[in-house]
Amino acid sequence: MTRALTIGTGLLLAAVLGMGAYLYSLRRNEQARAHNLPDTRPISAPIMGPASRVILYLAYDDPGVVRPQEASIALPADPAERGREILHALVGEYVKRPSAHELPAGADVKDVFLVDENTAVVDTTAALAEGHRSGVFVETLTVASLVKTLTANLPGITRVKILVDGKERETLAGHADLECFYDVVTMEQLLEQLR
Amino acid sequence: MPWSKYRRRSQGAAAVAALLLVLLTSAPSAEEKQLSIYGPRVSYSLPVSEHEGQDYVALLEALEPFGNVSARAVGAKWKLRFNKLEAEFRQGASVGKVAGQKFGLPGRFVLENDRGLVPLRALPAILGLMLATRTEYHEAGRRLFLGGVATHFTTDPRENGLRLNFSAPVNPLISTEPGKLKMSFTRDAVVANTSILRLENPLVSSITFSESNGEAELVVLGRVPLLAQFAADRRAIEIVPAPSEAPSAPPAAVAGTGPPAAAPGTAPPAAGTVPAAVAVPPPPTLQSLAAKPAFVVMLDAGHGGDDRGALLNETLEEKGVTLAFARRLRSELQGRGIGVVMSRDADVTVAVEQRAAMADAARVSVYLSLHAASQGHGVRVYTAMINSASSKPGGFVPWDTAQARYVLSSRALAELVKAELLKHEIPSSQLSAPVKPLNNVAAAALAIEVAPSGADVGSVSAGVYQQRIAAAIAEAIVVGRARVEAER
Repeated sequence: MTRALTIGTGLLLAAVLGMGAYLYSLRRNEQARAHNLPDTRPISAPIMGPASRVILYLAYDDPGVVRPQEASIALPADPAERGREILHALVGEYVKRPSAHELPAGADVKDVFLVDENTAVVDTTAALAEGHRSGVFVETLTVASLVKTLTANLPGITRVKILVDGKERETLAGHADLECFYDVVTMEQLLEQLR
Repeated sequence: MPWSKYRRRSQGAAAVAALLLVLLTSAPSAEEKQLSIYGPRVSYSLPVSEHEGQDYVALLEALEPFGNVSARAVGAKWKLRFNKLEAEFRQGASVGKVAGQKFGLPGRFVLENDRGLVPLRALPAILGLMLATRTEYHEAGRRLFLGGVATHFTTDPRENGLRLNFSAPVNPLISTEPGKLKMSFTRDAVVANTSILRLENPLVSSITFSESNGEAELVVLGRVPLLAQFAADRRAIEIVPAPSEAPSAPPAAVAGTGPPAAAPGTAPPAAGTVPAAVAVPPPPTLQSLAAKPAFVVMLDAGHGGDDRGALLNETLEEKGVTLAFARRLRSELQGRGIGVVMSRDADVTVAVEQRAAMADAARVSVYLSLHAASQGHGVRVYTAMINSASSKPGGFVPWDTAQARYVLSSRALAELVKAELLKHEIPSSQLSAPVKPLNNVAAAALAIEVAPSGADVGSVSAGVYQQRIAAAIAEAIVVGRARVEAER
């Protein structure tokens, strides 16, 4: 083999290896990107039912208030599913851009469980907590908005617990307590201050 | 659940150990060395540590009240940035760079847990270069004066006593010993040209001035029992004869505009002793903390270590802002004679429940959880979202509702803090909020969230802004102290 052929073969081999490494890194980056994308698939089948008027308690970062707003959404008959749909509509307002109180893409309410006649457990997606802005005030607005919207639309519910992806979590994003049960009386006192 | 019980028990043990550490490191004691720095706008104290027989101070903390300061350690090298100036030192080296100039230290540079410590004797020159100001250091008293700031005083004999006129408002701690009236100035840049002033006065025979450990002290020697009272908006202290019989008033309650100077004696005078004015009790020592419940404030700088808290802007982490603010608030409180314990005084991880456990174990009077946020403006003051009616009598306090008995006192204190902040022209609001771990604290407990002063999020870490907030909160605690103590 001539010297020129050896060099040419070597260069070709190096090019092949380089291209292989480049393709491998492209594939890995693409996988990582796909993994980090929020899961925007619907978490339950679309609800069919007559449209009902509900009240959403919407948080506004500026000027830092929670205000009621009427909405018309299709609601199923089961109270737990109704609760989930109402909170789904509420969180949908925050996931939109622009929003007066932004929540991250992928934030949603997975389920609402009615434990007894006055206690509800709300299970949110991991994205809601993981991507939530950190701060006492913004976290408090989110909690107040979720709890008040649920209790206002499901008569009899006086205590609400919030889970994240099916598990108990210490705080929402470093400040707001998620280990406790929220009761309507103390929440009402807070909302009075946020009006 | 068994696991959570085990976790709480182990956290409790850790909390006790941490508490001992905190008490040993944070509670003011007779041996604790400190440096006081007096500037035109702020006065504060810094702890002094000893290395190789020399006094050292943390350079970053010394500069914090004056502007944006940050530091980072890369290996043995430590770099500090203050506004647009830089300083650079290497661990163990006695030569570094300050504001672009080569700078010789009178000892080795010490890097301790990423904190850069410089010999105390070098600090006046370093601050002089970084702040471009004149400095005057009183080495024996560990007092550093910046920009020619000084509070002078003169004596003015009066018909019924003696008046000390000061060139600026003062706020000393006043205590008595038989035949003496002592005034300790920690935050006031009080200076004197002479160490002893002999007087031809029917009440006062002499006034001595001394400086030590970051404090100036005026001792008034009396010929008769004496009382002291503030006048002229704290620009004067009047020394008058004490009533012959001490009235049965309660001990000097801290109320009104600051530490009272002239509450009458609280106990009948012993034979041959001189009853005189008693003001705020001195800061509690470790012994006094252990012996009886004292008025102690716990400052809980939010987050720390692995938990950075909110990312306020590209470079500003909440954990650093809260720690700097806690140190400023500590300085303000201690300057008003209030004992302080800190949940952390370094960038370390402390579990949220552990913070409440530390507060409860220390039996603090007030617990302040400090936070920072990029949203909104001013300061938001929070109390626990808990109903006071859920408090139950009994020897044991339920962990989850420990705050219930104190929530009214917390709300009253929050109102005072809000009012003081507004007085200092800092926008503030008061809310109840589900902030961890307020519900678990058996004392008046507040969470304080500092938001930017304007559009610039970075202002949340500005020294002057934090100092104003700290002064307002400290003043509110002084005002609310009587109520908090009454409800303990």
